[in-house]
Amino acid sequence: MNTELLKYEDVSIRYGEKEVLSNFNLDINKGDRILLKGRSGSGKSTLLKMPMGFAHPTRGRIFFNNHLLDSDTVWNARKRIAYVSQDLDIYEGSVNEFIEEVFSYSFNQGKLDRTKLRRLLVYLGFQKDVLEMDFEDLSGGEKQRIGIIMSVLIGKDIYLLDEITSSLDGALKEKVANYFLERKEWTLVIISHDDVWEKRDVKVIPVGV
Amino acid sequence: MDAVDIGYFSLAACFLLLTVPFLVSHYLKLGMIHDTVVSASRMIVQLAFVGVFLTLLFDLNSSIVNLLWLLVMILAATHSSINDVGLDLKKLLLPIMVSFIAGNFLVILYFNTFVVELENLFDARYLIPIFGMFLGNSLRGNIVSINNFYDTIRRNENRYLYSLSLCAKKHEAILPYARKSLKLALKPSIANMSTIGLVSLPGMMTGQIIAGSSPILAIKYQMAIMIGIYVSTVMTVTIGIFMTIRSSFDDYGILKEDVFKSATA
Repeated sequence: MNTELLKYEDVSIRYGEKEVLSNFNLDINKGDRILLKGRSGSGKSTLLKMPMGFAHPTRGRIFFNNHLLDSDTVWNARKRIAYVSQDLDIYEGSVNEFIEEVFSYSFNQGKLDRTKLRRLLVYLGFQKDVLEMDFEDLSGGEKQRIGIIMSVLIGKDIYLLDEITSSLDGALKEKVANYFLERKEWTLVIISHDDVWEKRDVKVIPVGV
Repeated sequence: MDAVDIGYFSLAACFLLLTVPFLVSHYLKLGMIHDTVVSASRMIVQLAFVGVFLTLLFDLNSSIVNLLWLLVMILAATHSSINDVGLDLKKLLLPIMVSFIAGNFLVILYFNTFVVELENLFDARYLIPIFGMFLGNSLRGNIVSINNFYDTIRRNENRYLYSLSLCAKKHEAILPYARKSLKLALKPSIANMSTIGLVSLPGMMTGQIIAGSSPILAIKYQMAIMIGIYVSTVMTVTIGIFMTIRSSFDDYGILKEDVFKSATA
């Protein structure tokens, strides 16, 4: 029996009349670190959205935990998969209000570990008062880091990361990449142009070539 | 004591007042003369039609005909609220219509039974004008709430999807948008209640006083009508949003693109 967490089977993507990706196949097992590489417009970001049900293949199928991803199974997939994108427009209001709202969702209730939250904020370079700040006042990179923290606090273990280090400075890029790569129990699928992700145990998969 | 009649010449004299907005528009180049003429003409035709029609309805005073007329009013309100916000009529006709029926019909039944205590609940003289006031206000509320709800979710698609990715169930992801839209739609009704009598004397009360009712009776009616309007608006906009959600989002929790008119045009 297969043990893939995620499987792309003969996936094709069409934008309008143009098919940008044909018969893409990929098996992702627990603990894998996959770096998707390809030219702009090759469908990489769309591939990352598919396991969340935010995009659908023109042809082909997606499997999560050996189950075909459909409108029933996608809700289970979302409980384990974190999707952090480059244009994370998160919330209208303060960071604290956002955290309260996310942890009011029935699946997340009781999971807010404030000690872990503070530790993660410090590790990812935030000042304490960020919790009181409005999202509108945060930079793109700061919003992404809050997004990462939320997924970690919820306890997700599969991370689909779309250019999450693109708006960070050099030292922070390295820190964020290491944070993910050091956690061997996590499964990572990454899209990035930053070489901080190109480490020994990261498998590079070409897309749309 | 009956109201003083307005003769047709006197009515024409009233239209002379429109020269003021015409002059303002002309000198400030507002380009509103054509729109004003069209609107005023439509008003004349519509009200003339309604005047004749209501006279017939009041003379006939048949419960069935009155209820059928309410249905026509509801259909017109449904069409207007879907059309004005650029949504697909076919997909949302039923849920919006249900919201108007549930929001207004239940309130008017309660109103006529327990407040006005009519013997005939469907008496045209009470049923049609009061229902019209309920419906007109809930129509405004529905247009504001539905427009704001769908527009905000569409403009903030990433934000909405992000809630789903953080394990929100469909209703949990939708709720903040619904809450905001409902508040926005209900604000005018709340503001209206709190300023009535100070800032404005409402049309119904003014009409009753001119028609010879005592101010106390007119005020009692007005209070009851304001509560009725507020309750029917709350019910209509709440039911309206939650009923349309069923047909506007797919099983993945994603807003369907084809609920917007442009997608099907």
